[in-house]
Amino acid sequence: MLEVSGIGKTFHAGTPNEVFALRDVSFNLLEGSFLIIIGTNGSGKSTLLNAVAGTFPLDRGTVSLSGHDMTKWPEHRRAKLIGRVFQNPYSGTAPNMTIAENLAMAARRGLPRGLAWAIPRTLRSELRDRVRTLNMGLEDRLDNDIGTLSGGQRQALTLLMASWLKPDLLLLDEHTAALDPKSADQVIRLTHEIIKRDKLTTLMVTHSMQQAVRLGDRLIMMHRGSILHDIQGAEKARARPEDLLQRFEDVRRREQLDAPVAEMLGKTYV
Amino acid sequence: MTLLLGASTVGLILALLALGVYLSFRIFNFPDITADGSITLGAAVTASLLILNWPPALATLAGFFAGVLAGTVTGLLNAKFRINGLLSGILVMTALYSINLHVMGKSNLPLLEETTLVTQSESFLGMLFGPGDVGVFGWEVNQRDAAALCLAGAMVAGVGMILYLFFRTEFGTAMRAAGDNPQMIRALGGSVDFILIFGLAVSNGLIALSGSLLAQYQGFADVQMGIGMVVWGLASVIIGEALVGSKSTGIVITGAIMGSLLFRLIVAIALRWGLDPNDLKLITAVFVFLALVVPGALAALRSRAGRAR
Repeated sequence: MLEVSGIGKTFHAGTPNEVFALRDVSFNLLEGSFLIIIGTNGSGKSTLLNAVAGTFPLDRGTVSLSGHDMTKWPEHRRAKLIGRVFQNPYSGTAPNMTIAENLAMAARRGLPRGLAWAIPRTLRSELRDRVRTLNMGLEDRLDNDIGTLSGGQRQALTLLMASWLKPDLLLLDEHTAALDPKSADQVIRLTHEIIKRDKLTTLMVTHSMQQAVRLGDRLIMMHRGSILHDIQGAEKARARPEDLLQRFEDVRRREQLDAPVAEMLGKTYV
Repeated sequence: MTLLLGASTVGLILALLALGVYLSFRIFNFPDITADGSITLGAAVTASLLILNWPPALATLAGFFAGVLAGTVTGLLNAKFRINGLLSGILVMTALYSINLHVMGKSNLPLLEETTLVTQSESFLGMLFGPGDVGVFGWEVNQRDAAALCLAGAMVAGVGMILYLFFRTEFGTAMRAAGDNPQMIRALGGSVDFILIFGLAVSNGLIALSGSLLAQYQGFADVQMGIGMVVWGLASVIIGEALVGSKSTGIVITGAIMGSLLFRLIVAIALRWGLDPNDLKLITAVFVFLALVVPGALAALRSRAGRAR
């Protein structure tokens, strides 16, 4: 389904700010599986997601989805196969346009846009029905600007928009990180429902250990632009937040050890 | 009366400019200075073709498409070559100055004997009401002035309507979204580059159309006529927004037309009262500056007052 092979990306290459954001990352994702990506700050987890979405050109490696090699495709072309929800609730919707207009654009994700009416009458009742499934009372506010809604409501709508036409791959980039706990809970529940109902192949980046153990059937832990652990099947089902935290702790301790040792070796031999 | 009529006609003609500026400045938030060149381009192309005895409708259409071309170049410079938006516009505007001189062959082209859209509508009006002055609400009005006003009004109404309907189509909503949140429309499969280039093409097409009509109305095209026009358009849009006080597309389009009309009338009256025409562009610039700054300053003042309480 999704094949990521040997991708690498260096930002600001050749300058003092050089960052090896991704180093030779490879993995395959089967159809219908739900992969969680966790990692420390700057570990490359969001970069990995953006590499799949096509936000920037890769230095090395290939990304293919459903048999299409997308490596050279620009972002908007990949959108035909990919639905996305961003970390920032303001990113996924056009604030000065109505709920109905936003959803109508999602209903044409990846399709040619011509001079037909954006919101034909037939679409309107479908909009109402599908917005009602969010249980937020937004079905009566379809003509309100999205900018008047809360972050949680926007993320719920963005999720609905990303999955309006069934995507081959759903990308969720810490999509509850900017929400208050109650809204975050609500959006996570909705995420779970939609993914299960439509059997969506999903890549989700999260910072929450709770979400990481509760959701998904596979888990990748990133560190410094590489995959550190890949936990699947029964092991993933057994994993608890403490186990994951323990693994982070291991990484931290190893690095603390590394730095002074490197310094000592440097002093001795250079 | 002739004064008001003339001012209204120019106001309506420049409303097309205001609509073009609305498209680039307000929809895309793109400060498109190309306008100064493309309004002259529209005038130059139409005037030159009229002198070659082209049918006025075709010559006007050619003026429109010349503007479309200019806007496309600005869009390409910005979207494909990643040149800063302001600079892209300045480059094309500067290049257009030479191009306009080439198109016209000299710096001023008079259209005294040519058949234009204005003379055509004048004879059309003559057929309807017979020769001589036309009575409008009790005033006797020169037939040519009345014809020009009707022509400009019909043109603006048509363009405004088409624009309003366009913004409700699939592509039109995608265009508004591209200005509102480019990341979002990209994630939904819209090419922001293509949409921007198309939008700037239409914007400059409208601005060139405005220039084309202006040349036919005032009876000449001049290579200097575009200077400061983008600020004119912006002033009209801002007045329009203040008039209607709404962000909804249809209402803002009407507002921009009303703004252009009102702005021209104010200017005509001020000139009548003895305003030095040389100060006009300075006053326009100061006006736009105030219109941009005052609402923000007022809001800041209000919130400070609220906190003090």
